[in-house]
Amino acid sequence: MTQPLLSIDDLHKSYGSEEVLEGVGLEMDQGDVTVLIGPSGSGKSTLLRCVNRLTEINSGRIALDGQDVTGADTDVNELRKQVGMVFQDFNLFAHLTALENVTLGPKKVLGMDAADAEAAGRNHLEQVGLLEQADSYPAELSGGQKQRVGIARALAMDPELVLFDEPTSALDPELVGEVVEVMRDLADEGITMLVVSHEMDFARSAASDIVFLDDGEIVEHGPPEQLFQNPTADRTEQFLSRLHAHEETA
Amino acid sequence: MSTAESTTSPNPGLRDRVGTVFTVRPLTVGLALFWVWVLARWTTDFVLAGVSGFDRGTPFIPAAPFLTTADAVASLATPLGVAGAPLVWFADTLRFAADATAYLPALAHGIWTTVLLTVFSVCLGFALALPLSVVRVYGGRWARWFALSYTELIRGTPLLAQLFVLYFATSLTQVLRGVPGVGVGFVPAQAFWVAVISFTLNSAAYQSEYLRASLESVDGGQLTAARAIGLSKLEGIRYVVVPQGLRLALPSWTNELVYLIKYSSLASFITVQELYGRTSTIANETYQYTELFVLVAILYLALVVSASALMDRVESHTATAGVGHTRQ
Repeated sequence: MTQPLLSIDDLHKSYGSEEVLEGVGLEMDQGDVTVLIGPSGSGKSTLLRCVNRLTEINSGRIALDGQDVTGADTDVNELRKQVGMVFQDFNLFAHLTALENVTLGPKKVLGMDAADAEAAGRNHLEQVGLLEQADSYPAELSGGQKQRVGIARALAMDPELVLFDEPTSALDPELVGEVVEVMRDLADEGITMLVVSHEMDFARSAASDIVFLDDGEIVEHGPPEQLFQNPTADRTEQFLSRLHAHEETA
Repeated sequence: MSTAESTTSPNPGLRDRVGTVFTVRPLTVGLALFWVWVLARWTTDFVLAGVSGFDRGTPFIPAAPFLTTADAVASLATPLGVAGAPLVWFADTLRFAADATAYLPALAHGIWTTVLLTVFSVCLGFALALPLSVVRVYGGRWARWFALSYTELIRGTPLLAQLFVLYFATSLTQVLRGVPGVGVGFVPAQAFWVAVISFTLNSAAYQSEYLRASLESVDGGQLTAARAIGLSKLEGIRYVVVPQGLRLALPSWTNELVYLIKYSSLASFITVQELYGRTSTIANETYQYTELFVLVAILYLALVVSASALMDRVESHTATAGVGHTRQ
């Protein structure tokens, strides 16, 4: 691989006078699973949303497959075909069944015909273990099932990169496992994933890289074993010990 | 309260049956009879008229038997003095029925015009209201300002004034009169179309308010998710926000339909012979104001209840778990 799949360079983003991202840089190769951790308000979700331009950046450069995606002439809809997103609050289309949620993008954005989209959609639902719920509406699904449909919806676009924005934060603790399991399967299959999550279990077992973000800048990054066992920065160490304390009490 | 009672009732089966027989049936039967009569009237007068044996506007039920019975009942009441009052009332009711049989054919024609006026206005109004409401919620500054101004102008002035302005103060009537086909055969004359245009413009404003409120109540994450799979903003609105908004707007939309059925009576002020217009014309000729306005009230009620019942069916047919409130 000569060029990284995703490269972020000197990214700045501020809301009014408040600077949320202060010169962030990041690279991901195909098949990488990068997990962003950090205290709330550190800019993790903002960074994620800059990648598919749900949020516009102030300065810096984001390139996907070597193509600059932040330019004014970039077709954002074209970009979003290649970058899937999974939301904290699921955001499933409430008026559509699980299957219709998964097939809407392929039908309307990729221009697939209905039969092909449905066949593919069923495959994606099967991949997340929800084929039997294909005709259920979101309100009839549990939180874990909703999020798995959300993942299937993102996969249905056959994206090069999938963004996960705290995919398990809105879930009851007993439902986290099923979503993490699906994400781990995706990681094993070589799907490139940029994940904001504090699910340490997932981070340890599936991540190729952990990035610790604090106050809008990347404090430290490295493979999970290195970052978790031997963090070099004090801030990382403090954050991780707080996280461990929380995990033990939970 | 009633739900709790019925679930704890020792014999809910009987309760349900009683409920069905005594509350649902009379309404259904009444509406069915009403529409059978209306459709039969339209068929004989509009379709079969001229064919031998079918006279336009001849009552289905003759008035004579009612009058004979009324006279007989009244003569029974005379020797009873004050105690005969109930019999007198009964006789009066029979006379009212006799009058009704005579007036109903003409009123059925009025119902035709009222239905046509309402259906045209509410449908065309919706076609205008949908883009207006989308602009109100998602449009740019100037588009939003325009949509808001339109809505406030229309909602802030009387419908009758709007109707008069269009009818008397513009050349719309002349223009419409020149349109080929207007007033020929089954196509109503120009005043009807002025009323349709006026009610459409008015209803669009009200409907767009209902729709705007519904679109705004659709969670913002829905459009974000739509954008995230690569749909354009307009596509996201079309495929994701609007379908949910429409479902949410149904109950208030039913309201608008019911209002319009009744407000369409204002068209009589610009010579349209819809249900109220017909009634008023006959009343002015016969001086039977009380009888005719009681009768027309019953007919409007039947139209309104039919519309509500229809929209109820549409609501339960389009019910989706998690979109709007679902009834048990």
